[in-house]
Amino acid sequence: MNTTTSADIRHARGQGPTWSVKIVLALLVVLGSTGCGTTPPAWFRLNMVEATKQKLTSDQERQVATLLAAMFGTPDDPVALPETGLDEAKLRLAAGPVRSDIVGRKNGLYREHCAHCHGVTGDALGPTAAFLNPYPRDYRPGIYKFKSTERADKPTHADMTRILKNGIPGTSMPSFALLSETQIDALVEYVKYLSIRGETELGLMRAYFELDDDAEGKLPETREFLVGEVLEPVAEKWKTAADALIPVPEMPADIDMVASIAKGRELFYGDKANCVKCHGPTAMGDGQANDYDDWNKTIVEWTKEVVGTDDKQWASRAHRVLDGDSLEPRTIPPRNLRRGIYRGGRRPLDLYYRIHAGINGAPMPAAKGTVPPEDIWHIVNYVRSLPYELDGELGADRPMVARDRF
Amino acid sequence: MPTCSRSESSAPAIAGPGFRRGSGIARLGLALAMVSLGSGCVDGRVGQPAADADAAERVRVALVASTDAAVETGVEAAATGTGWGTLKGRFVFAGTPAEAKALAVDKDTEVCSKDGVKLLDRSLLVDPSSKGLANVVLFVRKSSRVKDSAPPEKPLVFDQKQCEFITPVFAARVGQSIDVHNSDPVGHNTNIAGTSFNQLIPAGDGTLFKPEAETGMPTMVTCNIHPWMKAYAVFRKDGYVGVSAADGSFTIPDLPAGETLEFQVWHERSTGPSGALGLAKPDLKWTPKGRFQVKIEADEVKDIGTLEVPAAALGG
Repeated sequence: MNTTTSADIRHARGQGPTWSVKIVLALLVVLGSTGCGTTPPAWFRLNMVEATKQKLTSDQERQVATLLAAMFGTPDDPVALPETGLDEAKLRLAAGPVRSDIVGRKNGLYREHCAHCHGVTGDALGPTAAFLNPYPRDYRPGIYKFKSTERADKPTHADMTRILKNGIPGTSMPSFALLSETQIDALVEYVKYLSIRGETELGLMRAYFELDDDAEGKLPETREFLVGEVLEPVAEKWKTAADALIPVPEMPADIDMVASIAKGRELFYGDKANCVKCHGPTAMGDGQANDYDDWNKTIVEWTKEVVGTDDKQWASRAHRVLDGDSLEPRTIPPRNLRRGIYRGGRRPLDLYYRIHAGINGAPMPAAKGTVPPEDIWHIVNYVRSLPYELDGELGADRPMVARDRF
Repeated sequence: MPTCSRSESSAPAIAGPGFRRGSGIARLGLALAMVSLGSGCVDGRVGQPAADADAAERVRVALVASTDAAVETGVEAAATGTGWGTLKGRFVFAGTPAEAKALAVDKDTEVCSKDGVKLLDRSLLVDPSSKGLANVVLFVRKSSRVKDSAPPEKPLVFDQKQCEFITPVFAARVGQSIDVHNSDPVGHNTNIAGTSFNQLIPAGDGTLFKPEAETGMPTMVTCNIHPWMKAYAVFRKDGYVGVSAADGSFTIPDLPAGETLEFQVWHERSTGPSGALGLAKPDLKWTPKGRFQVKIEADEVKDIGTLEVPAAALGG
């Protein structure tokens, strides 16, 4: 048996390592084996933007971290109080490091599939987040865009499942259709968990300002406060999401599509629905384009405060928080409706939801209340016709070439 | 941008087979080593205290165990009087306000800048003759009694004209109808932060909105179509809110008499936490969190006088 070692190969090729290579390799081995010390267990990072904005002391930051650990556990060992309505067994499948359990079932799904963008904490500060446009969703404010519920309501379990299965076209969010139903279900539950945790954290941090002076800057650690006043109002919205479905009257089956599209066009450019103001006269998103979504606006507004303050010491810390705990704010362009890419789904129903309720977290307002349902359907039909150009004959469409038209 | 979070692996793992030339390995290795030593392991982010695991465990046990017990019923049921009183006063600006800046109006200029009108920043409105400071908000933090338990039937009109919200700061009660109106010939949308409301308001049209929860500090109202448009809204259950008028004066009637009331004071430009306006008024126990206390007797009209707001408190 002829065994060949790597040393033999190097000798045979006449390329023995020089002294410098040896030293460097030794250095690499040392660094590689020790790294930054032993790997600490994963931990949730505090919302430092809010903590600094609220000028919390380090004792107060510690109290928030401790209370959150009490109510939600750690990334490796999640806890779901009964009031959250979350299923701890599902959370365990998604939480923790990637590993297999005793029956060979994969665990740690969130860190395998999601954490590199959305972050271990769900703060959208994962290692790859800064390279994506749009940025990944930060779950902590509990705001979601693409759903079948009224504007300020939470998405249903089915809404989130659909996003995981279909991905979000036009963004970096891929489809996870290859995962099993059980795995997707566990991930949806875990995203809800991170979201409820994040909103609870915001609630706790903001509660310091509301304290009476005799509380000496310490939040009460009672069930009445922590569960009754902070956790339950957040969890309740998740539990009742399915009650807030947008009512959608069916589009008449015998609708005259050409007339409907013409009516939709009129509404698009008219000052009732006013779509043109943002989506632009070409419908390519060339209207109002210098606005921010809620996540970015939070950073933009706070940056103004930091720049304007006289408190030098606080400002220097705040600048470091902006550098390390937020991404460079970006404006949100209104959608180019001629590309035929619909982030929240391409079904007519999805477009109806978007127009009826607007898009929570984005500047897109709701047409509900001022535009009647039949008009919303006309707008849906017009928007759906936009990527194509009518060829003269009824219903005979062909893909539009932008240059032909403009 | 975060550089090295604790959950990431560090750089040296990249080194492996596949490099052919010794000097190449040396250069690359040295570079990697320098990167590792120079930045890789140093977390540049602001540090934060870790949770106290033992304390967390104690709190959790208490939360799970005491499903209904140990509810603190503290000072809520403090002694209350009878009858109602009024609080009044006046805010004045101690200083000379800088000239208001013109807003960048770049949309629908045929309506928004009609007849060459320039829209001005309204965050600091001082009456030139009386020095009165407008749009200071003050509200009762907690009250034991409310005179009119139901909000008024009549909707409150919140209108916009010439691409400006007519009222820069307004108050409404939770559950009260607000008629969000648009008197312009162009469409607007009205977006009230922290609520469910962001709706299209067609030209010459309006829609009703009922706030469902209290705001705490006033919340921002914007129009996304015309981003310079800005107002503030405050929603309270008891309706005990005052917004200072153009001359700086405010009056809050029907306050519960005979109990110590704590007021929260806010101004858009205030440098205090969350816009809280702190004043040096020890007689009213005025705190840096913008809170002061008064006790009003039945049928009394309590005048807390002229309240001077130093320019520094509003950012100069």
